[in-house]
Amino acid sequence: MTEPETTSEEHTICKGIGVSPGIAIGPAYLYAKVSFDVERRDIDPEQVEHEKERFEKAVKRAERDLHKIIAVTREKLGEGSAEIFEAQLMILRDPTMYPEVVSYIENHGINAGYAVQTVMSKHRQVMEASDSEYLRERSNDLLDIQDRIIRHLRRGRILSAVDEETIVIAENLTAADIILFSRRGILGCATDFGGPTSHVSIMARALGVPAIVSTHGGTGQVKSGDLVVLDGIRGEMIVNPDDETLASYRVKQKRYARLQLQDKQLVDLPAETLDGHPVGLQANLELREEIPLMEENGAKGVGLFRTEMMLLMEGRALVTEEEQAAEYSKVIEAVAPHTTTFRLLDLGGDKLLPMGHREHNPFLGWRGIRILMDKPELLQPQLRAILRASVHGPIRLLLPMITEIGEVRRFKELLEQTKTDLREEGMAFDEDIPLGVMVEVPSVALQADLFAKEVDFFSIGTNDLTQYVLAVDRGNDMVAEIYDELHPAVLQLIQLTTNAAKAAGIPVSLCGELATNLRAVPVLLGLGIDTLSASPVYLPAIKRVIRAMKLSEGEGLARRALASSDPEEFRSFMDRWLEEHACGVSFFLEGPDG
Amino acid sequence: MIEKEVTVTNRAGLHTRPASMIVRTASQFQSEFFIQKDGYEINGKSIIGVMTLAAEQGATLNLIFDGPDEQEALVAMEAIFADGFGEVK
Repeated sequence: MTEPETTSEEHTICKGIGVSPGIAIGPAYLYAKVSFDVERRDIDPEQVEHEKERFEKAVKRAERDLHKIIAVTREKLGEGSAEIFEAQLMILRDPTMYPEVVSYIENHGINAGYAVQTVMSKHRQVMEASDSEYLRERSNDLLDIQDRIIRHLRRGRILSAVDEETIVIAENLTAADIILFSRRGILGCATDFGGPTSHVSIMARALGVPAIVSTHGGTGQVKSGDLVVLDGIRGEMIVNPDDETLASYRVKQKRYARLQLQDKQLVDLPAETLDGHPVGLQANLELREEIPLMEENGAKGVGLFRTEMMLLMEGRALVTEEEQAAEYSKVIEAVAPHTTTFRLLDLGGDKLLPMGHREHNPFLGWRGIRILMDKPELLQPQLRAILRASVHGPIRLLLPMITEIGEVRRFKELLEQTKTDLREEGMAFDEDIPLGVMVEVPSVALQADLFAKEVDFFSIGTNDLTQYVLAVDRGNDMVAEIYDELHPAVLQLIQLTTNAAKAAGIPVSLCGELATNLRAVPVLLGLGIDTLSASPVYLPAIKRVIRAMKLSEGEGLARRALASSDPEEFRSFMDRWLEEHACGVSFFLEGPDG
Repeated sequence: MIEKEVTVTNRAGLHTRPASMIVRTASQFQSEFFIQKDGYEINGKSIIGVMTLAAEQGATLNLIFDGPDEQEALVAMEAIFADGFGEVK
């Protein structure tokens, strides 16, 4: 391990997105994924047996890893996601792979690591050269296994498994990685890539491991052994913090633990303002296995069930109607008597597109409802499955990426046709499922009056709404600073939406990341949002703010926010407000004197 | 040695889950098991082999069993193919 070049007086701050709240302080562990080329080493003939044993031991350890991964994945993400790892387990003892490695060691008199690398690379190349996109993707499974075996071969040498009590810094992590790490007691993790809804983020939240993603090159700022403060609340990582910063974070860490205990007591209390206005608090979910988290955190229903994860994680674009109906039914039953809001498959943008389709400008391209209307083979099974599942409890149907009213009208025709088909087939379904649209394209907010007459509810998606109205890709470091979800232009669009909803008497919820920004909560309620939906772990903090404010105060704050021309000034104003009302995280973490 | 031609009927083809099912089923029998597709032959007890077939819906495969329990193995394998690996369509 090399020493840092300078004894850094100034610490480095890497900004990312906080995806699992909490504060971790500890040494960094730089987790290099794969591609450490194993050197070829000739061995003495009498060493061959020893080398074969080393290979067998490494395979055994990899098997143990995978058994653990399978058990946790099944519990947290369900049977479907565990299948990939079960296949990996079989690959370890594959009758074409295993003996081939052994005979490679024997015939060439070389080290096990090099033999594993050579044999598995050969198989991988066959897959990578395939015409089948699916198979090309699966070659990653082989790479995962190769990596795992080689890692175990090196155990006790250069790179062991992750050290305990470290903060893992990696380019990218899989859900499997984080499961194994959490078993070894890691403190937190930070990745260069990923988003709040990627697999690793969901798993980090489920396991309670503080995490940030999308640090844009965080791995380049850290060396193994550097002291790191990971702030999963603000989405920051501070490398080699100065004494003062470190001391303040140690205090924050203790206070955060206390805060979590206090928040637990809020779970059963109503989400209601001081002047008696109830606010809906719902969960954003992607997997059935997250439903216990929803209950633990006091959510009343699912405001946004994203269906992409469930449909795409199996590595195939088309999951059958039967499979979907079975899965949706289980979700609905588990959430009942509360309502589950299903958003139809929202592909495109930063998410995977079917059929390997690529675009120059995906956020302005083929995505959401635009794909669904063009691809009945995607829409039909899902729509039929959701309708059929609706007999199990209350649901709502949410359309992604709507731009103009014609899309809603065309969808309604299609919905009626699908209902007619189901009736003819003798299939039961709920006849009165509310239909809503995502308000994420500015045109919908601007024409909210028109939409409000034709749909049953609005759900505002602030992430896309912000990036469309401010014309900024927040993943682009050059312009990410312009991205401001509290920008008055964004808030005006929200207000147009809530006003139209109120006039038409339909509910309006907000399911973007903005709901988890405590500074925004009073403003949003003041703007007339009646329900906030967020990843369950954030709900207790949101409820804390709701219970500390009057709706009338929120209205005043909303006016101020709409008139603000200085985002920095408004943010610090809100921070003070939260502190005065004893409900901001900073109040608890930094104390009343800031 | 016995042979039998089968068709992949499930919509998604031989992706990870069906491939594991094939290997797991084959491994319950002593007989050797090979799959031929388009003049290409793989060991049917190898998941890497089965996956590299990249067999899609409608693909025709030739199953070959050789060993003391080849008849039983064939019956079991035909059953999971006929059932579309529990996925149908």
